[in-house]
Amino acid sequence: MHHLSLYFHFVKLRIRSQMEYRLSFVFDFFAQVSISVIDFFMIALLFNRFKELAGWSLWEVGFLYGMIGICFALAEMVGRGFDVFQRHIVRGDFDTVLIRPLGTFFQVFSHEFLLRRLGRIAQALVVFLIANSQITISWSLTKVGYLLISLVSGTCFFVGLFVIGATSCFWTVQSIEIINIFTNGGVFMGSYPFSIYRWWFRHFFTFIVPLACVNYFPALFLLEKIGSSGGSPIGVLLAPCAGFLFLGITMLFWRWGVLHYQSTGH
Amino acid sequence: MKSLSLAFQVYLAFIKKSFQRRMQYRVANLVGLTTNFFFLLVHIFVYTAFYAARTVPQPLSLNEIITYFVLCQVSFMLMPLWGTRSEVTSAIKDGSVALQLTKPVDFQAYWFADECGRACYYLLMRGFPTFLISILFFEVTIPQQPTVLVAFTVSMMLAIFMSNAITITIFSSGFWTLDTTGIPGMSYSIITLFSGMLVPIALWPEWLAHIARWLPFEGLIDIPFSIYLGKITGIEVWIAIGKQMGWNLFFIGLGRFLLTRGFSRLVIQGG
Repeated sequence: MHHLSLYFHFVKLRIRSQMEYRLSFVFDFFAQVSISVIDFFMIALLFNRFKELAGWSLWEVGFLYGMIGICFALAEMVGRGFDVFQRHIVRGDFDTVLIRPLGTFFQVFSHEFLLRRLGRIAQALVVFLIANSQITISWSLTKVGYLLISLVSGTCFFVGLFVIGATSCFWTVQSIEIINIFTNGGVFMGSYPFSIYRWWFRHFFTFIVPLACVNYFPALFLLEKIGSSGGSPIGVLLAPCAGFLFLGITMLFWRWGVLHYQSTGH
Repeated sequence: MKSLSLAFQVYLAFIKKSFQRRMQYRVANLVGLTTNFFFLLVHIFVYTAFYAARTVPQPLSLNEIITYFVLCQVSFMLMPLWGTRSEVTSAIKDGSVALQLTKPVDFQAYWFADECGRACYYLLMRGFPTFLISILFFEVTIPQQPTVLVAFTVSMMLAIFMSNAITITIFSSGFWTLDTTGIPGMSYSIITLFSGMLVPIALWPEWLAHIARWLPFEGLIDIPFSIYLGKITGIEVWIAIGKQMGWNLFFIGLGRFLLTRGFSRLVIQGG
């Protein structure tokens, strides 16, 4: 409880400091929106020419796109502290984190909050809502609950990726940015149905980096596509657990990484 | 004549310096190469699936599409606003540009040389490896006529020059906004769309393709690659290259104008 109120206190501070640069904030907000609008526009262009993709229509793909877009933007908003963590290692700031009477994970997590990702969230949400109105989904309470869990799970998944990237800095000091393949690349590949990928690619992104579990499989359930586009009912229902599990494992990895921390000194 | 060759040597030295600075980041380059391949792979999966369902012939065959995206990955880092910026570009933000202004050289030319060094680096260390490995794994079309290769080389060089000129123009706006994310961010989406970087213009609907033809950005990606694929031939090659040259002059002129105005109201950030 104490942690939670502390977290919101920190978030309030971050937001206030970001609002100091108002013009920059507005510029960046619109830049974010325009970049992500172009993103989906391109998918629409392809569908305009090819009509369908492996049995999926434009708005079914829009559903996938919206889901993963929301998760990623949320993760960038709350998980920013891990995304830019290398700064602390390079400057030696992590020493101060170690002497404070709070867990290291919590401190780094609450250190940043990127309000400007609201632009990206808004855009993904709009695509998601339009997609909803274009395809008939019979929403039930179960489905809404399942959707919300999937979204949280997807956010956890991306935060987990940031944590891996941050933890690797304990060894490499500078971020090696290999994790971008899975974050930016993940959003890109997650915007398309998984059935179009080759088996080894699919398996990797299901069992090792569980991207499909937080996006494609939930969408299969919500769009009632189980069977026609692969996946077994029970597997699909349990799939969103993978996001939470993934974050849990990366937290353990973080702990282990902290033990290996050697200060770069001041 | 002597002063000209001296100037040439000076700027060549800047290009070399800029190139060498990047040589130090070998791991970063390896990671970048992996990223290039990942995106290439996903693009190929997506287009293969799209093409699988179509029986009607398309303006570009699947092989040509694959080649197009291989070339895209080869030249990604050469495009404006992609990857880490050159030293001069970041200098506007942190204020160290003041120091660079004291150099007794033409600032725009100096900046241009700096960007050229960056381009050479990415072409050699990122572009060529990407291309060579792609030939091994995917069916990449290679033009048979030497004239096509010559035209492509010229067009590609013009594309790189234009990319540098655009970068300079965009970041010169930093003298006014003192913020280097907003305007570059918005230009980024326009350039990404109209260069044909995401979807080749040949696959666009007519009305949108028409808009693209009137904009300069097709000269960054679509023109050189269409020449490579033999989609632009004969007299049209000359017209396309002429267009690229015209836009090059336009952006160099615009950049020059903005820089001159910018310096007269220069506010140095930081100390």
